[in-house]
Amino acid sequence: MNKKELLKGNIAIAKAALNCGCKCYFGYPITPQTEIGEFLSKEMQQRKLAYVCAESEVAAINMALGAASTGAKVMTSSSSCAVSLMQEAISYASSDELPIVLINVMRAGPGQGYIYPSQGDYNQATTGGGNGDYRTIVLSPSNVQECVDLTYKAFYLSQKYRNPTILLVDGLLGQMAEPVEINDNPYQEIDNSSWRLDGANERPSRNIHSLEPNQNKLNRHIIELFKKYTIIEQNECDYEEYMTQDAKVILTAFGTMARHAKALCNYYREKGIKMGLFRPKTLYPFPYKKLNELSQKTNLIIDIEMNMGQMLKDVRLAVLSNARVAFIGKPVGDWLTEEEMIKAADNILKEQYASI
Amino acid sequence: MIKNFIISGSGGQGVLSIGTILANIFMLSNKFVTYSPCYGAEMRGGAVNCEINASDEQLLYIQNKEADIVIALNQTSFDKFISKVKKNGTIIVNSSLAKINKTRNDIKYIFAPLTQEALKMNNVKIANSIALGILSKITYKFSIENVKKAYEKILKNKNDLIQKNIEAYLIGYNYVQER
Repeated sequence: MNKKELLKGNIAIAKAALNCGCKCYFGYPITPQTEIGEFLSKEMQQRKLAYVCAESEVAAINMALGAASTGAKVMTSSSSCAVSLMQEAISYASSDELPIVLINVMRAGPGQGYIYPSQGDYNQATTGGGNGDYRTIVLSPSNVQECVDLTYKAFYLSQKYRNPTILLVDGLLGQMAEPVEINDNPYQEIDNSSWRLDGANERPSRNIHSLEPNQNKLNRHIIELFKKYTIIEQNECDYEEYMTQDAKVILTAFGTMARHAKALCNYYREKGIKMGLFRPKTLYPFPYKKLNELSQKTNLIIDIEMNMGQMLKDVRLAVLSNARVAFIGKPVGDWLTEEEMIKAADNILKEQYASI
Repeated sequence: MIKNFIISGSGGQGVLSIGTILANIFMLSNKFVTYSPCYGAEMRGGAVNCEINASDEQLLYIQNKEADIVIALNQTSFDKFISKVKKNGTIIVNSSLAKINKTRNDIKYIFAPLTQEALKMNNVKIANSIALGILSKITYKFSIENVKKAYEKILKNKNDLIQKNIEAYLIGYNYVQER
């Protein structure tokens, strides 16, 4: 019997969160992610879990910080312009080492922008919009099944490394339904009894704070954080390769754009051009090493994004001078179509092969 | 082979209902499928449409400019989506609520008085299922078991309503043959 069900990305994320033991949700409605809160408002009440529709996004994420400090699994969700409001708290959570999961279902910016599709939050998510030296783990699904799988992973990684983790979802994916299987959470539970604030009782008291007036201590704290980030970068890079084995041209794309890029590979393969796709599933840590290896076997990398070239910077850092890096993009609006991409790619290929 | 569908009408006509049912039928038939709804702020009366893509292989393009089959349940959606029908594609139009008018000669038209047919069955809300029946007949001729299962998934325990909708579906299914 088919265990699959037809679910929107938003609902799939909410179901996965419940499945892996999310105890608290705090959020404020904003298109295109409102269904997450709507769905959880009913489900969490029935299961006697904590659901708060907060008065603002600032309140929502700070509630998440408070709840996370007690060791509970917490999640908040929002979209682009409202995630901007949360940046201060993300910086705090990074310094406090609090495992919060933030779902950002992207819409178009900058500023208020509108609800049109865009992948404009890559920079904000991967390099952070808050103050200070910190990193957040960022995961990028490209279909609804991955919305489930990577929500599990986001909770796991956030707990494992005591670090804020962002699931960066295309608005299209939040709204679109596909057959998915809500399997069991494959990750083990992380013991947080060594740091959570659950009442001192007989043990020595604890506190979690980011204020540190002693400069030596603050220095040490940040160096410790970056030791952790180094471990994350060594262990957690995740990516998908599509026909890269013999590829002469490699496309790079993330999220839903990678699906269109695969179609582009198929199109050019039929025309005899060996094209492949490299898709990072973790945007931070970005899989520099793997992309660097791949770039040594090719002359041309084409990065495709629904923005003006944000991942492009990381692609260039990975490729260095191994190959030429070209870019196809569009800031907002209807997803790049097959014709538009082929037209742009044809031009790049023509330039490339004329110059050889 | 990838097939794209657009179902359109006004809020309250069950556009998204048959959209999800169609997508579920594809899922039950072991096809890859994506379903994208699109609606305005209004619950009733506003323009609503949804897009469904189905394929035997993994779906890569998920936003398409045109559709193989368009269902238009009223005049506004007929006017709006006529240009979105692929060459040699088909548009199924509810002729109870839209004027019979063939402005393109590179596509097929199926005009059916869906609302009138539904009223004959004493339930105006099942016009959408009649349209789904027509779509099924001219495309995949879905197995009736999967159609029933899809309705049961969406309408849960409302057995009378499921029965009524299946009847409407079958009227639609047989409608094309009778012409």
